[in-house]
Amino acid sequence: MGDFSVNLENLISDLRRIVGDKWVVTQREFMEGYLRDETPDPVRPRAAEGLILVKPSSAEDVAGILKLANANKVPVFPVGGRTGLVGGSVPIKPGIILSLERMNKIEVDRENIMAVAEAGATLGDLIKAADEAGLFFPPHPGDEGAQIGGLIATNAGGSRAVKYGVMRNYIRGLEIVLPTGEILSLGGKLLKNNTGYDLMQLAIGCEGTLCVITKAVIRLFPKSKVMVTLVVPFNTRSDALKTVPEILRSGVMPLAIEYVQIREIEEAAKHLNERWPVQRGFAQLIMILDGASQEEMLLRCEEISEICESNSAMDIMLAETAEEQSRILRIRSNIYTALKPHMIDILDVTVPPSNLEKLMNEVDVIAAKYDVYLPAYGHAGDGNLHVHIMKEGVTDMRMADRIKSEIYKAAVALGGVITGEHGVGSLRIKDLGLVLSEKHIEIMESIKRIFDPNNILNPNKVLP
Amino acid sequence: MSDECSFCGVLIFAEQEDGEIHKVTYELLGKGRVLADRLGKNLCAVLLGYGLDDEARELIYYGADKVFLFDHPSLKDFDIVRYKQNIVRLVNEVKPDIFLIGATRIGRSLAPRIAASLKTGLTADCVDLDLDNEGNLVQIRPAFSGNIMAQIKTRTKPQMATVRYKVMKMSIRDPARRGGVVEMKVEPVKNTGMKILEKEKADEVNISEAEIIVAAGRGVKSPEDLRLFKELADLLGGVVGSSRPLVDAGWIGKEHQVGFSGNTVKPRVYMAFGISGSPQHLFGMRYSDIIIAVNKDPTAPMLNFSDYYVIGDLYEILPQLIHEIRKVRCVEK
Amino acid sequence: MNILVLIKQVPEIEKVRFDYEKGRLDRSSAGAIINPFDLNALEAAVQIKEKTGGSVTAISMGPMQAVDALRDALARGADKAILLSDERFAGADTLATAYTLASAIRKLGAFDLIICGEKTIDGDTGQVGPEVAELLGIPHVAYVEEIRQICSDKIVVGARMERNKYIIELRLPGLITVTKDLNNPRLPTLRDKLRAMRAEITVWSYKDLNEEDALQYFGLNGSPTRVIRVYTPAAEKRKSQVLSGTAPEVAQKIVQILRESGVLG
Repeated sequence: MGDFSVNLENLISDLRRIVGDKWVVTQREFMEGYLRDETPDPVRPRAAEGLILVKPSSAEDVAGILKLANANKVPVFPVGGRTGLVGGSVPIKPGIILSLERMNKIEVDRENIMAVAEAGATLGDLIKAADEAGLFFPPHPGDEGAQIGGLIATNAGGSRAVKYGVMRNYIRGLEIVLPTGEILSLGGKLLKNNTGYDLMQLAIGCEGTLCVITKAVIRLFPKSKVMVTLVVPFNTRSDALKTVPEILRSGVMPLAIEYVQIREIEEAAKHLNERWPVQRGFAQLIMILDGASQEEMLLRCEEISEICESNSAMDIMLAETAEEQSRILRIRSNIYTALKPHMIDILDVTVPPSNLEKLMNEVDVIAAKYDVYLPAYGHAGDGNLHVHIMKEGVTDMRMADRIKSEIYKAAVALGGVITGEHGVGSLRIKDLGLVLSEKHIEIMESIKRIFDPNNILNPNKVLP
Repeated sequence: MSDECSFCGVLIFAEQEDGEIHKVTYELLGKGRVLADRLGKNLCAVLLGYGLDDEARELIYYGADKVFLFDHPSLKDFDIVRYKQNIVRLVNEVKPDIFLIGATRIGRSLAPRIAASLKTGLTADCVDLDLDNEGNLVQIRPAFSGNIMAQIKTRTKPQMATVRYKVMKMSIRDPARRGGVVEMKVEPVKNTGMKILEKEKADEVNISEAEIIVAAGRGVKSPEDLRLFKELADLLGGVVGSSRPLVDAGWIGKEHQVGFSGNTVKPRVYMAFGISGSPQHLFGMRYSDIIIAVNKDPTAPMLNFSDYYVIGDLYEILPQLIHEIRKVRCVEK
Repeated sequence: MNILVLIKQVPEIEKVRFDYEKGRLDRSSAGAIINPFDLNALEAAVQIKEKTGGSVTAISMGPMQAVDALRDALARGADKAILLSDERFAGADTLATAYTLASAIRKLGAFDLIICGEKTIDGDTGQVGPEVAELLGIPHVAYVEEIRQICSDKIVVGARMERNKYIIELRLPGLITVTKDLNNPRLPTLRDKLRAMRAEITVWSYKDLNEEDALQYFGLNGSPTRVIRVYTPAAEKRKSQVLSGTAPEVAQKIVQILRESGVLG
């Protein structure tokens, strides 16, 4: 920890004074879980030596820690549920790991249909709190162990974005702590707010590089009464994907339209010791719909079914019970876990929805060129494609990089971006230039300097 | 015969498989003894099988006043129809007030057939039994995943109930106890409509019998992490348990599930890591001797139901605990 | 092969909330579904039908709204559905339920195989199936987790009891109750669902069962068991002693407890 301008012992005792002895951890073996996220092992950055894990209990604690760190130029790495996929929370330099897990209170305001959640509460906690208050948090932006702070800092998306948007669409107010130690309150329990530059929107998606989010006002919705899941098998990818824009145009707005191919979804089912309920076709669409009554629901399903049938759907299967629907979702969300041990990297390139098929065909061309298996599936309604670079057939990391680059370029050429969901973190920095102009990056750098003059907060993430 | 049996107050079904008495039988004898004494009547057991003289005597040591033994090659393995016919005949003769059967798979297959044949009431899966002032059986069973309890009475005789395993206290064996074994005449039924073609040992984790359980709950992040639980369980000579979400997610087999819809357990030590303590889970483990809970959430109901608890991350505590126990084990060696 | 499947409509148990303060169940947010174990029974029946031909009839006893569960059964491959619904059937325990079902089955005439789910998620007794078998005088196997073979007069099934799994040849007509391990129930197609929504469902009342002077066997009258009291189990709190400190300190304390309890060292 040589580059700190402070004696390590003093730093530790100062931190202990702020949060209490118990909440400063210095022994490496008790911070193992904080040193990594869910990024696949081959590409995940390694945690540095010389780390201190600190667990504050309030925004004031956080302010105290940041002030101290800023004065001594000690890097601070805010972490949430560590479910990220681009190494965004990995502490890559000696410094402080800041975990807000103790700050996990959630209050639901039924009058305003909003929740006020501390950053360390998990997505699961929020879903539960909303449900208990008779309300509903519509998007499902990822792993339920993810924490609110992290979900906001990474503007998490997830599969229900088609109808309900991403994290940003739900945030009405934030309490943030600046790297220089000031606590700011942005927005509030407001549905409209045009007062000045909206710094809150900058904090959302900043990946912990501009500020530490400590609390959020989150918009909730009334519960949908009925929800159903459709699984629609198709013989070809093209049939499945050309159905998607037609559905979106029809006015029946599903929460989610997921595209999967039978090979990966069966793999995921096998991983969970289950059986995928629809064993037909090459490609399948999974759609979730919500509505006020079963009759309304079935009418919408009928409309969707006509569109699917006109695009040669083989069948339309309907899951109505909670158990069947959650089984389908569970298997779908485990494609990643099933593939993870054999994986080098997971990409989340995103293109205009109408270009998704072209992108997938490009990916096939790249796979053929390198003679590798590139499983791809994704949020078809959002044009967001997950492509996995697998170990099989990839001889070294340079080859993996070349494959990745080609996929990125294909996405950008189709009017897309290199990441639609997972963010930049550590892994996507060097490819930023594929999407952002020099000027754009320069403005980002200036903003970073204004917020964080000493570059202590999550350094070397998002920006080089 | 009807004379000497007229005082059979409580009859219990002594379950055996492969000639071995299922332990729920001794729990039935424990509770049955209490009920029979309060009624001032005999506690009887009915045992069907082949070559079970010793086992019949054991039932007396464990509290039966009388054992009705149906010993015949045709009864060696469980045949619902044969068992039912012999038992129904016995019940019609001895007319017990109360007839208890273990709520095992065998018991739960057999009891309803007997009840339907006798046109009497049957209460499933009781966790407690009592007598009202008139000496009628009050049957207590959980409903709605253990969230509520129901008291049930039966207006026909015998009052029949199946009783959940690992809930009632086993009676204490006393080899000095005396009682009568009544050899019953077995009417061989040639064709019952069912024939056992094969018998395979089902070697599964028997969590009900475990003395130490290291249980995992929703706090576990990925199925691979269950390896830590296995490691700790192995170190302690225990078994890995699980709450329902992990079983539903397919991360671990149902034989590991503890709870209302899984197994009831009664270990000496139950360690719950990352289990919030839903009523459905608590139902299955609340009879444990010592409960130690580790949970991040200080408001988790589990903590109130534990003897010792730690507010903390299982991912920090569990590896450390493994480490400490290793140290102890090494010193021993 | 003529197969009957006995089904029950149950509340979505996951969504039944329990109000501890008021001590009662709140079913308002819980929809009604077909008992999940019955889906495995239905799937087994449909698979057998696909192999041997014949028909699958779903039978349920319940209030009129139970037609929804029967419609679901039709969407999932049943050919016919019969609802036994009458005020006089209400308040039935397992014996009276079994009596009513057995009586309807007799009225239906010849059948080969009856399949039930292992139990229902609300009653959780698993008694109705075996009781129906007894009342009809046919053999049964409970907890079937495997169907090995079926022909016109017998079925070979695997069922696990306590220590062993038994492979049993069951003479038909017979009855089996099945576990979730038996199969993965298929999803209905939207088309079948829509067709089922419009299908006729036969409803039989007490009169239709042609039982003379048998009212004492039905509903509450025919139920020997009575729930006399329902209550919340007293929360038996334990001493709840906190073990605090750093992870190694906590671990050492747990080791100490394990030693004192005699399970370690």
